[in-house]
Amino acid sequence: MEDQYRHPIVVRVWHWLTAVTALGLLFTGTCVLDVHPRLYWGEVGNESTPAVVAVESAGPAAPGQPAPTVLTLGERHLNVTGLMGVPLDLGPEGMYFLIFPLPDSWHFGGMRAWHFALAWVMCLSWLGYCLYLTISGRLRRVLVPEPDQLKPAAVIHDLWNHLRLRRPRGREAQRYNLLQKVTYLGVLGAVVPLLVMTGLTMSNAVTIRFPWLFSLFAGRESARTLHALAAGLLLLFVIIHIVQLIVVGPVNRLRAMTTGFYRIPKEAR
Amino acid sequence: MSLLWNRRSVLTAAGFGTAALLGVELVRNDQWSRAFVDTAERLTLRTQRLILARKPLAREFALNDVSAHFPVNGSRVAPGDAYQRLVDNGFQDWKLRIHGLVRNPLALSLTELRQLGARAQITMHNCDEGWNAIGQWIGVPLGLLLTMAGLAPSARYVVFHCLDKKADDGNFYYESIDLFDAYHPQTILAYDMNGRPLPVEHGAPLRLRVETQIGYKNAKFVDRVEVVDRLTSFGKGRGGWWEDFDNAVWYAGQ
Repeated sequence: MEDQYRHPIVVRVWHWLTAVTALGLLFTGTCVLDVHPRLYWGEVGNESTPAVVAVESAGPAAPGQPAPTVLTLGERHLNVTGLMGVPLDLGPEGMYFLIFPLPDSWHFGGMRAWHFALAWVMCLSWLGYCLYLTISGRLRRVLVPEPDQLKPAAVIHDLWNHLRLRRPRGREAQRYNLLQKVTYLGVLGAVVPLLVMTGLTMSNAVTIRFPWLFSLFAGRESARTLHALAAGLLLLFVIIHIVQLIVVGPVNRLRAMTTGFYRIPKEAR
Repeated sequence: MSLLWNRRSVLTAAGFGTAALLGVELVRNDQWSRAFVDTAERLTLRTQRLILARKPLAREFALNDVSAHFPVNGSRVAPGDAYQRLVDNGFQDWKLRIHGLVRNPLALSLTELRQLGARAQITMHNCDEGWNAIGQWIGVPLGLLLTMAGLAPSARYVVFHCLDKKADDGNFYYESIDLFDAYHPQTILAYDMNGRPLPVEHGAPLRLRVETQIGYKNAKFVDRVEVVDRLTSFGKGRGGWWEDFDNAVWYAGQ
């Protein structure tokens, strides 16, 4: 048979729902970070405490010139003038320094509201999908690496294939490869839970009930920093996912993730 | 017919296409957006009410945890000569009014408020922008004032009318919370901050501290407290300035 029924309907619905939700969360989250582009370690962080990562003003801008901007990464200070950094003068409410300008009509409060709404969608669909994967046995059948994939030679072969951007053949084309499995499991089992837990650690009400969240993430501002870091990992995953898609043939994969049917590449039959 | 494009896959693709169009409409259509976001907000409210049912307290810190610098956010001063005159004589001519759906409307001076049972707390202020700071607050528990005023049976919300205006429009700042948060033991109207009378830039004469919720709910320059049964009669009817003009969520426990 030349075609394979690859993705059950639950997988396809979850995939597209999560794709849209994740992009929405990354977008709204970035807009929220934009108004205070400083990340701290520990319990407390504000304009007068040191930041571990920050986009900061490096002095007044000359007329018609981009605002002098410095990107602080721990001990390092990089001049990023022209790449990012926009001063925003709110008159009596003081000065803000943004990473990039946002249209007023987007409403900061509205972005936060969307972020929390999408977070609910993400949490509930993640929970449902994890239950589905476990109960249906798909977790073990499709995502957990098979013993032969974990042999040192197979691991090296898989890494080498990825480095050469070589598409898998034969039996390998009909199952996920090792790096793919590890990545999917990492996103599902580590990145998303980390995002959810660190997000909840920023909530007043949740931490009143579960104060141990502060100990778990070394404080509220650390949780915010880890939230941004995990979001960065998620963004990295999305980018690699799309690049891989383009490398291996977008039409066949997109069709498979929509209708469920995947055409096995010719050389692999 | 090929296995790739049989009737089932065509129907499935059409289904996903329809869902995508509905998704676009959800973002584009203001009414749909609002319904979606409001539903999530209610879900957050219900969930957090469930976990806070026993009214646990927010963390309190030690004196040496108090932030050396507590950033000023929102209005730095209330407008007008009338406010300046209040500041000049230490708010001696000012009274906090508590009115609306109460049996005994109250008007209390700062001196009278200071004579009521006070609560002192060192708590973390979490701004929705992402920063935070620790401050010490002394004030009257709001629950005590509401009990003194005696709530009418129809009372549901407490609205805080403030003396400050946002820079970009003519509306006075206001905020509101429901009775659950109003009666939380750490919900106070603070007249002292870090051991001194509340400075103007932090909202003198009174600042609401509602530790279950985020920064903008902690209204500054509180002038009067109105007990109501619905929030639709103020501003655009969404319960606060940020809620009305910036689409912020009303329940901000998240």
